[in-house]
Amino acid sequence: MRFRIATLAVLLACGFSALYAFQAHFRQYTGEEENPAPVPSDADERTEWTFARLRYPSGRYAGYSSEVGSWPTDFPKADRQFLAGVRRLTRIHTRSAEQVIDLVGDPNEIFNWPWVYAVEVGHWDLTEAQCKLLREYLARGGFLMVDDFHGTFEWEVFTQSMSRIFPDRQIVEIPDADPIFHTVYDLETRVQVPGLQYLYSGRVYEKDGKVPHWRGIYDDDGRVMVAMCFNQDDGDAWEHADNPQYETKYTSQAYRLGINYVIYSMTH
Amino acid sequence: MFEFLFKYPPAMFAKGKFVLLAPWPVWTLFLLLIAVAGGLFWFQRQRRSLLSNSRATIIWLVQTALIALLLLMLWHPALSVARLRPQQNVVAVLVDHSRSMGIADDGKPRLQNAEDLLNNQLIPDLSKRFQVRLYEFGRDAVRVDQAKNLVANDNATRIGDSLKHIAAEAGTMPLGAIVLLSDGGDNTGGIDRDAISQLRQLRVPVHTIGFGPDHFNKDIEIVDASVPARALPQSRVTARVAFRQHGFAGAKVKLTVRENGNPIAQQLVDLKPDAEQSETILFNTGEAGAHTFQVGIEPIEGEQNVQNNYVVRLVNVDKKKMRVLYMEGEPRWEFKFIRRAMEDDPSIELATLLRTTQNKNYVQGAEHDKFLQDGFPSKPQDLFQYDGLIIGSSEANYFSNAQQQMIRDFADKRGGGVLFLAGRFALSDGGYANTPMAEMMPLHLTAEKSFSRDFASVSLTDAGRESAICRIEDDAQKNLARWQKMPQVANYAVMGAPKPGAVVLMNVAEQGHRPTPLLAVQNYGRGRVGVFATSGSWRWKMLQDHTDKTHAIFWQQLMRWMVTETPGEVSSSTPRQVLPDDTNVPLRVSVRDKSYDTVSGAAVTTTISRPDGGSDTVELKPDPLEPGTYTGSYSADKPGTYIAETTARQDKTTFGDDAITFRREDGVAENFGAAQNKDLLEKLSNDTGGNYYTPSSAKRLPSEVAVSEAGITAHDNLDLWDMPILFLLVILIRGGEWLLRRKWGVV
Repeated sequence: MRFRIATLAVLLACGFSALYAFQAHFRQYTGEEENPAPVPSDADERTEWTFARLRYPSGRYAGYSSEVGSWPTDFPKADRQFLAGVRRLTRIHTRSAEQVIDLVGDPNEIFNWPWVYAVEVGHWDLTEAQCKLLREYLARGGFLMVDDFHGTFEWEVFTQSMSRIFPDRQIVEIPDADPIFHTVYDLETRVQVPGLQYLYSGRVYEKDGKVPHWRGIYDDDGRVMVAMCFNQDDGDAWEHADNPQYETKYTSQAYRLGINYVIYSMTH
Repeated sequence: MFEFLFKYPPAMFAKGKFVLLAPWPVWTLFLLLIAVAGGLFWFQRQRRSLLSNSRATIIWLVQTALIALLLLMLWHPALSVARLRPQQNVVAVLVDHSRSMGIADDGKPRLQNAEDLLNNQLIPDLSKRFQVRLYEFGRDAVRVDQAKNLVANDNATRIGDSLKHIAAEAGTMPLGAIVLLSDGGDNTGGIDRDAISQLRQLRVPVHTIGFGPDHFNKDIEIVDASVPARALPQSRVTARVAFRQHGFAGAKVKLTVRENGNPIAQQLVDLKPDAEQSETILFNTGEAGAHTFQVGIEPIEGEQNVQNNYVVRLVNVDKKKMRVLYMEGEPRWEFKFIRRAMEDDPSIELATLLRTTQNKNYVQGAEHDKFLQDGFPSKPQDLFQYDGLIIGSSEANYFSNAQQQMIRDFADKRGGGVLFLAGRFALSDGGYANTPMAEMMPLHLTAEKSFSRDFASVSLTDAGRESAICRIEDDAQKNLARWQKMPQVANYAVMGAPKPGAVVLMNVAEQGHRPTPLLAVQNYGRGRVGVFATSGSWRWKMLQDHTDKTHAIFWQQLMRWMVTETPGEVSSSTPRQVLPDDTNVPLRVSVRDKSYDTVSGAAVTTTISRPDGGSDTVELKPDPLEPGTYTGSYSADKPGTYIAETTARQDKTTFGDDAITFRREDGVAENFGAAQNKDLLEKLSNDTGGNYYTPSSAKRLPSEVAVSEAGITAHDNLDLWDMPILFLLVILIRGGEWLLRRKWGVV
């Protein structure tokens, strides 16, 4: 009997010597959560998609945000509120909790998550290896949505890393007719989605970022690989969707845009 | 010896009927025998004091046997046979003069041996009792005056056609028998039933004399090579090559596919002991057009015949774009990466319908197909305009009963390829059991939900290793190594056992679990159906370098399998794409309307472009036994490649067109089957009541040929009472009794 079991084990090992894949489970970043929220009961469930937040280094720009850097801005409440919308409005199989993709820790984990979200990228400071990793990720078919960065200075900080990811690709305005604005919702006309600060300041823009831009980087086949929500703050709109003072029109557009971007990344 | 003892040759006994000619009834023979046996028994009882019981019984048996034999001879035993009347019948003698008869097996050509046998023995002996008509045959039988200076120069051997020719002449002459001298190397794949039944009706026996060895001592011969008749540009296809060899067991040879003389695929093969062997080789068909490939084995040193190492095969590479509809019930990564994989394939247009929300169908790649905006097609003519169909993770009850039936008809009636993927709303999990869709799948569905998001490894089965679908690398070993390093899939459905006729190409297993089928395919009706029980192949893209093409190649090959053989409304075919030294091309065309219902009463025309630039037209006629099928034939009179384009019309409706290619090759047929086909010759003799002879046993033929029921015959009763064997038996029995008595001291 033992011999048969051992033989079977050897045969199985020979027949299935595939490259074993691993996918990280949900994990809390208690000390780094900017806006803590209850951990959903289905946080460990394996689903087709979930909100994948990029944990990147802010390096020399960390001081502009916090000690831990800018990656957990609005985290995790924004993520979980957006996920609730995705669950309610689409047929995507998703859980209620986000997944943090740790660019600093396990670099290969990102390949399990073909859609990632990075916030406050006006403060990111990627290493050469991380730039190379993101380039490879996007070349394989990954999709990066960046959000909540404003004005000339933050744009320059963003592009300093972005231009090292793709030295040979231009950042362009995404035309209104691009499918990314039409996968689920038709979003030809869009407004500037402000951060929560507009409730106090009365301004829908931050710094000198008065004009909102929906920019992107395309691959050789005309597909958006990187979608940039510049001079706007969709993360705040998701985070404060339950705040009665935050206007519905901004929340609605942020959800619709986010869902469009997710569906686009799963169809193009 | 047999004839000395029994007076007549064995064939006479085989065909004759045993009779007793004495005027007394047979029962009197038995009565007398019983009386004599009883008398002898009584006599032995009277003298029992001389012998023991057992010895007396033996003596009684021996004496009874002797009396029985003598009584039988008195009753005048005879053999009743139908025999050709001397000098009143014709015996047709056919000599094969095809090129294979020119082979000198023992230093002398086979035809020369046949000529010598005819002139020195057969013709003189036969001529004493019959009128002999001599024919030489290859493609057809031609009468010749004498067997002198015959030349083995015919490029083909058609025994059946030649026999039919002779049988047709039987109406004008008293044909008593046919004698056929050949190596049996028929190039038409055997003697057709027509010829045999015609001869049986006429009761003409065919006596065959076989020339040449059963097989060469050192030879490799291609028996057949099966290659798909159609392919899409730059497709990897499988050639299955059957061959036999003698004298090279254990040798390594190169299985090769050549185009224009240049090898385009090669693989090493170990030759098995003397037996027919079958191997597969994959090759790329190249760009659009009619391609001629030579498929076979590179000759090796010492082969006696290197002309039979390659066969020619045609592949029509079609440049038309095939369309696949992919219906997906939920946004999934698999969907995105399948779409990306197919964007690189210029031969397949992928239309996708994705249910992004409960109220939104997102259509890509089919912006002109407005009906998709409302969801899955509800009319056959809408769905059937696609060549392939993929059903993703969508609940079975999303489809109406009519749509479910239509999906089955897509394969069964339309002839398309259907692929089912796994998912939380697919297969068992989606409630597909007990639907028409479950019936068409190559795998049984499990009773319980079985989709899980666990990591599992895939592995190729033996069939998968040989399948063009799973071939990422041309080299089989490299391909296997590549699959063994393939990233795991992160979800799969446990499937049930394969159905009869299904082929499992891939298995999947979690660590420590038993493998279950992952990819299985089968033919269903006019089409094909597959199940790929995962939606996790996208990791083969995301977890490998961006330059790695594994994922794209796999999906392109899987979809090409789905659609390459999908017929159009008009679909033409011929069973004989390559005609080795032959001219007759049977044509067959299927005509259907947009719903793929059969069309009767259409005008179906095939225009054939000849190799010399000219063209001919063939009007095809409806097949009364098969609605929607039209048949005809064409005679390819010149060697070269022909293109046959078929159109079908009815009133003002044109149903479409289709094109096939075929090729006539001269001077090749006789290179194959050059050893003696003894089985064929023996079967021909047995089926017609004749006998098979070797050249050395053929001396019996002139005496045996007279036994025939054809021509002008007479029923003769041949005496058997005076057979030497009977007198010998009388002496032996009597002598045996004397010896026994002497031994026991009672003489």
